[in-house]
Amino acid sequence: MPNSIGTSLDERFGDEPRTCTAGSGAFAHYELDPAIYDEMFHGDGSPRETCRRLGSALARASPEDLAALQDGVARRFLHEGITFTVLGRAEMSEHIIPIDCIPRVLSAEEWDHVDRGLRQRITALNMFLEDIYHEGRSLRDGVVPAELVLGCPQYRVQMRGLKVPHGAYVSICGTDVVRTRDGFAVLEDNLRVPSGVSYMLACRTAMKHAYPRLYRAHEVREIAGYPADLYATLASLGSWGRTPRVAVLTPGRYNSAYYEHAFLAGEMGAMLVEGRDLVVHDAVLYVRTVAGLKRIDVVYRRIDDDFLDPVTFREDSVLGVAGLFEAYRAGNVVIANAPGTGVADDKAVYAFVPGIIRYFLDEEPILANVETHLCREPDGLAYTIDNIEDLVVKEVGGSGGYGMLVGSHASAAEREEFLARLRADPTNYISQPVLALSRAGCFVDGRLEPRHVDLRPFVLRGRDEIRIAPGGLCRVALRKGTLVVNSSQGGGCKDLWILRGDAEGAR
Amino acid sequence: MMLARAAADFYWMGRYLERAEQTARLLDHQLNRLVDTPAAELAHSWRVLYGAVGMAPPSVPEEADEAEAFLIADAYTLAGALVEDETRPHSIISCWSQARENAKQLRPWLPVPVWTSLNRGFLWMRESDFAAAWAMGPPVLVRDAIDRLRLLGGVADAMMPRDDAWRFLELGRIVERLQHQTVLLDTWDTLGPPDGTSTSAWWGDLLRVCGAYELYCRSRSMVVRREAALAFLVRNPELPRSLRFAANRTGELLSDIDPAGARYPLTPPHRMALHLAAAVEMDPHGEETPGEGHGAAGSDSFDALLGDSRTLHDMIMAAYVAYPVEEGLPT
Repeated sequence: MPNSIGTSLDERFGDEPRTCTAGSGAFAHYELDPAIYDEMFHGDGSPRETCRRLGSALARASPEDLAALQDGVARRFLHEGITFTVLGRAEMSEHIIPIDCIPRVLSAEEWDHVDRGLRQRITALNMFLEDIYHEGRSLRDGVVPAELVLGCPQYRVQMRGLKVPHGAYVSICGTDVVRTRDGFAVLEDNLRVPSGVSYMLACRTAMKHAYPRLYRAHEVREIAGYPADLYATLASLGSWGRTPRVAVLTPGRYNSAYYEHAFLAGEMGAMLVEGRDLVVHDAVLYVRTVAGLKRIDVVYRRIDDDFLDPVTFREDSVLGVAGLFEAYRAGNVVIANAPGTGVADDKAVYAFVPGIIRYFLDEEPILANVETHLCREPDGLAYTIDNIEDLVVKEVGGSGGYGMLVGSHASAAEREEFLARLRADPTNYISQPVLALSRAGCFVDGRLEPRHVDLRPFVLRGRDEIRIAPGGLCRVALRKGTLVVNSSQGGGCKDLWILRGDAEGAR
Repeated sequence: MMLARAAADFYWMGRYLERAEQTARLLDHQLNRLVDTPAAELAHSWRVLYGAVGMAPPSVPEEADEAEAFLIADAYTLAGALVEDETRPHSIISCWSQARENAKQLRPWLPVPVWTSLNRGFLWMRESDFAAAWAMGPPVLVRDAIDRLRLLGGVADAMMPRDDAWRFLELGRIVERLQHQTVLLDTWDTLGPPDGTSTSAWWGDLLRVCGAYELYCRSRSMVVRREAALAFLVRNPELPRSLRFAANRTGELLSDIDPAGARYPLTPPHRMALHLAAAVEMDPHGEETPGEGHGAAGSDSFDALLGDSRTLHDMIMAAYVAYPVEEGLPT
């Protein structure tokens, strides 16, 4: 089904240019908002250079063609079981992640800017982490308030003075990047167990299947090498003298990202293990196989620090393995990401990342931060309380769209309830302006309309190399008007096409 | 290198898929007889079917005895319980669902087409409307289910490398088959043909259920006798559903899983597999003694085989999955 529809759609565009304009033809319902950057169209309704060919093809396709194509893409996800689990419900339920069949397109120049900014950011953050667990120069020099770091729940005293191989505290990072009329900005750094890369790859596979000719014509940069890059990154973190044995440590199949854990293990040829599969004996980590216990060299952990090792961290954890940290401390196993990295993606510490970049690299940040008010500071708290209707207020340790309030979308009662929590524990909150996230073309309810999107590129930092897949998980707020892109809250995903060269292929 | 827990999941996945097909196969045979079989005979064969899968009949008064229960219940209810009742462990949907749960844990090891085939089959089964399918003809849905299960078996056969993952999947299938066939033969023999049914027809039906009728007719006779049928189903090495075939195949798989186990000393499960093969060979049901009537060789030997096959299962788990840490450490 998707094949025939994809080919059919592909065949509709030829060499003859076809006009596509926001507000007319196939894009009749595509309304532009001058306050919001549109990824597909200029303010006057004409297509951006990168989207000209895509827009032309979509203009030729009938709504029925697009509906069939959308259905084929969604069905592919269903059959392949590309799922996530919704948390916080009485019954853990498995959902197919919604996918939109219209790709978002970025030019090589736009991507180059993001790429350079991400490299700069992960370099600085790793230096910051090494510093706060050793000399603490940046804390003494006031780059980040010491009490903010040392009092952060994600700061792990067990990591103090511990030598992390090659200074690679954060080896896998998923940075949330948004675009507004002012350009790209980083919304948050996910330095603990970032997820979503499998959906990025699944979206790409589905799009290649759906638009084989259109995809080829666009000369899109390839992302299929990510699992190999991930393996190379993990393997580079030690000196083994043999092929290292890598394991992906998952909390199990009830975890919201279990599909991803299984996918990455399969693609890397690594073992997908749970804590109950592992044993530490004489500070060496072993996995239980049918042929006895075998040594594990690298653990790509997808569980939080708290649950890694009940001896060192939370003693009630049944997800980790007793003695793992001892094996790590002895240098007998590498854990990626290292324990304690969460302190650098705390939402309060985030506000200081531009200063961290300047301090450690002596460079200006390439990617901007979003203006952030720390409620731990009297001015920040007062500003937040006075302007809550225009702000997004977030718990410093929250994620997944939970523990936050979008002031303009909340009722008066919800705001009051949130304010009470904020006043009771201001150190636990930050606030940011409601961003006018850029919008990209989506096929929703049988027509082409713009929806808000963000972008999560995945950055890998090994022994001496930083690798970034040219693309990322493009999340989309499929509900009209909403800004929340999290899949647990009605969001979906779409493919992101980074064009080669100067977008010549798209013209 | 096979993760122990994954080996257990492959093993259980194989068991559940085999169990689903067994239930479907027995049910298909029964549903095809609805058209022209007297009610009393049908009730008797429902009793055999439920006995073979170890289930109690649904929706019958508590005071009814077992034989009455199957006379009272209607075919739609009896079949429905075996197809779509997720609370019954031997129903087709339950087995498929359990196999899928195992497969979810095995995504890194399962080729995508195998997972997709299993998942699509399950989604189809879950979304099927049993009542509507019944209206189309009682066996239609069950036959489609069998086709999908066999398609999955074919995809797995074509796509999976012959490594330990495959071997544990096969081992699960074959251990399940060994246990199921033992119970089926025992139940069929113990309950015997209903009044008014020819012995030849009764034992011929058993051969059909086991996919052995044509082979039996070609190699033996169209007149089917109890001892000959049981001998065929117990000892014929070429018949995939014979006990001997299952016992031999178990030994082969265990040799391949643990090559060192093929030499002295053998691992406990491998020793048990050889013991089972010998026990099947010596089973008195395999002895054709002209003139002996129904039940001459009773349930004892089947009970012993079933007990040994359950011990085999425990030994497989103990040897490859739940062994003590000190035994697993590298030497």
